Amino acid sequence: MDFTFTEEQTMSAQALGELLGDVCTGADLRALADGTLAGGAGRWQRLAAIGLPGALGPESAGGMGLTEADFVLLAEETGRAALPEPLVAHAGVAVPMLAELAAAGVSGGVPEALERAVSGAACVVVAHPLEDYIAGVDTAELALAGAGVGQVALCRRDELRLLPQASLDPLQPLVRITLPAGRESLLPGAPQVAEGLWRRARMRTMVFAAAQMLGLAARMVGIAVSYAGERRQFGRPIGANQAIKHHLATVQVKLEFARPVVYAAAAMLADAFQAGGPAAALPPLVEARVLQAKLAAADAADLAARTAIQVHGAIGYSWELDLQFYAKRAWALAALNGNRNQMQRRIQELLFGGGIETGPDRLFTN
Amino acid sequence: MKLGFTLAEEAFRHECAAWLEEQLSGPFRAIRGVTGLVACVEQRLEWERALGRARWSVIGWPARYGGRDASLAEQVIFAEEYARAGAPGRMGHLGVELAGPTILQFGTDAQRERFLPKIAAGEEFWCQGYSEPNAGSDLASVRTRARLEHGPDGDEWVIDGQKTWTSLAQFAQWIFVVCRSEEGSRGPAGLSYLLVPMQQKGVTIRPIRQITGEEEFNEIFFDGARTRAGYCVGRPGDGWKVAMGTLAFERGVSTLAQQMRFRNEFDQLVAAARANGTARDPLIRQRIAEAWIGLRIMRYSALRMLSGGREGALPPEALTYKIYWASWRRRLGELAMDVLGPAGEIARAEPYEFDDLPRMFLASRSDTIYAGTNEIQRNIIAERALGLPREPRGDR
Ligand SMILES: Cc1cc2nc3c(=O)[nH]c(=O)nc-3n(C[C@H](O)[C@H](O)[C@H](O)COP(=O)(O)OP(=O)(O)OC[C@H]3O[C@@H](n4cnc5c(N)ncnc54)[C@H](O)[C@@H]3O)c2cc1C
Repeated sequence: MDFTFTEEQTMSAQALGELLGDVCTGADLRALADGTLAGGAGRWQRLAAIGLPGALGPESAGGMGLTEADFVLLAEETGRAALPEPLVAHAGVAVPMLAELAAAGVSGGVPEALERAVSGAACVVVAHPLEDYIAGVDTAELALAGAGVGQVALCRRDELRLLPQASLDPLQPLVRITLPAGRESLLPGAPQVAEGLWRRARMRTMVFAAAQMLGLAARMVGIAVSYAGERRQFGRPIGANQAIKHHLATVQVKLEFARPVVYAAAAMLADAFQAGGPAAALPPLVEARVLQAKLAAADAADLAARTAIQVHGAIGYSWELDLQFYAKRAWALAALNGNRNQMQRRIQELLFGGGIETGPDRLFTN
Repeated sequence: MKLGFTLAEEAFRHECAAWLEEQLSGPFRAIRGVTGLVACVEQRLEWERALGRARWSVIGWPARYGGRDASLAEQVIFAEEYARAGAPGRMGHLGVELAGPTILQFGTDAQRERFLPKIAAGEEFWCQGYSEPNAGSDLASVRTRARLEHGPDGDEWVIDGQKTWTSLAQFAQWIFVVCRSEEGSRGPAGLSYLLVPMQQKGVTIRPIRQITGEEEFNEIFFDGARTRAGYCVGRPGDGWKVAMGTLAFERGVSTLAQQMRFRNEFDQLVAAARANGTARDPLIRQRIAEAWIGLRIMRYSALRMLSGGREGALPPEALTYKIYWASWRRRLGELAMDVLGPAGEIARAEPYEFDDLPRMFLASRSDTIYAGTNEIQRNIIAERALGLPREPRGDR
């Protein structure tokens, strides 16, 4: 048992962090939100150049063959930068789903799509059949979708009926998607496999949302800490007041206690996915860990947002501060793909008759 | 203690309810239920004039200035009926709730005659010039300067400096400005409270956008702006006392109307939870029940606080009121988002306009900041109500 990341894992996260520090600054986000800069195509190319779109793609398809446990730190970095492009949905969810379809022997354009997705030539998003709103559709060329969880379809964006919605996160417009009528499933006659694939996609979406929220929370704490050191009232930095210090320290505690939960969930998910194929049932405890990760990270990010705004005073409430971009991304990630109450309700179900055993000898078995 | 209302008071309730219903189902139908701070401005300004004409604008004021000398109970009743009828947020609230009461208490007769009737009639609107870029919580460090200049048409104050976060300045004819009138003075000493016309060459406004997307507050630049020597409230140099008096009004009767708005927001939240089924979720039900309890506590506390106070001087329990409501509403905003789920992430209209509940969530991020931050409120409670030693302060 070892709760650390390898040097390779931390170094690639650091490299991504540095790249995003260059190409995804607060000023870049603002330019995008104000519409003074069209798109971020250059940014996607930079990410593709270091192979990120194919991070979880199989090596046979040109990917890096990484696992969820490797990707979690990368997702955290994209969160820290509030990256507008759907790298996490693409690399963390769509590519592994395409790979799983390919491994199941599905043709129908899947191997070609996988190859183009791994290289980053085509951006793919995942439209879970039970989700009303999907982010990142504007940059995507393809979408994995389904009329229900019993089927999976691969659609070009121009085949879908899209209803774009202005959304709370100004950098990630949400879209309501309707499939073209009569679309065939890629897995005819195998609804259980389709269901398994959607379940896996959802688990990945949640654990990587959790990772992004860790990054966002850390970013917001960082912004607030530096402001608290600069802003002076009553003749001294506001950060010299215990009230401010304690606020920020409280967020830090929440954040540090959310981290291992998220990392462990990613590692457990990787192990569980390797142990069984898409049709295999997901152990209840693994699911619970993923839910718990999203809950813990959402709580930390929510508190970070609320605290960072508070520490800034009125300027924290203004559009002119970049802080709002990070706060709004955190709120969106917390609300989408299962919000706080849905997580808690599902954990309750799993605990009471859902397959998680309780009792003194059970508490600390993985 | 008497918590119910008398027959006469119930008759008064009937009278206001009838008038509100007639207006809001008739000429002001279009703005019924409007809660946006800068929405439907023209119609809401007209609404202020209608309130004024019917003498419903400032019922607690003396009749000679356009009020009705209404009792506390009557003001409670009016606030309740106003909210129940879905009447729109008051565009005039900074004049009605802050400038007016301050002038009434601290002003000269001439100032009262000049300003109060216009506020009551909805003919002149006000904004609050306290905060500056470097003077937020530490209001006493304001740097905007005023000097008295002798002129052929009488003496005038000449004002230079900058204010910021000034709500609704774009619709105001007047601003009350806390500024430094004694050169070289520091802290609360040497400040004056001036009433300054907005429409003049020396005043420039730049709107500031909020995280809600609305442009409700502004920056204001004073560059040789002028006002009459007689438009100083309180003695020159005594502005701090007046400025603090205004803050007390902010925590006073105006909280009644605010509570009723909260009541409407709470009802909307419950309706949303019923509509999308989250009302069946025990976790949501529990938080809704907590919010309801909090609202009741707020109401009793406000009534106790207002009953016990003398004019302008609220009892000590008033010190605890701001942090309570601000924290309550901030939580209500978070609950609203958990009730709405993904639907709360969606804007109602391009480019960035939200339905009431998501907007309330965003707006409630500011409740714990304006009118004294939560941290400052806690310091006040600890130091003034409990008498704990004062925090060390640096050199300003
Ligand atoms: C929506 C909105 C509308 C507003 N409208 C108006 C208006 O119309 N007119 C007007 O004049 N102003 C207005 N304001 C400004 C408001 O009064 C100030 O925001 C408030 O006084 C806080 O000042 P600040 O924003 O500069 O924050 P700062 O004073 O810089 O405070 C930053 C943080 O430091 C904390 N802090 C500061 N000092 C201490 C201390 N000694 N101990 C512990 N913590 C401390 C604060 O609590 C806060 O968390 C408005 C603000 C908002 C958000």
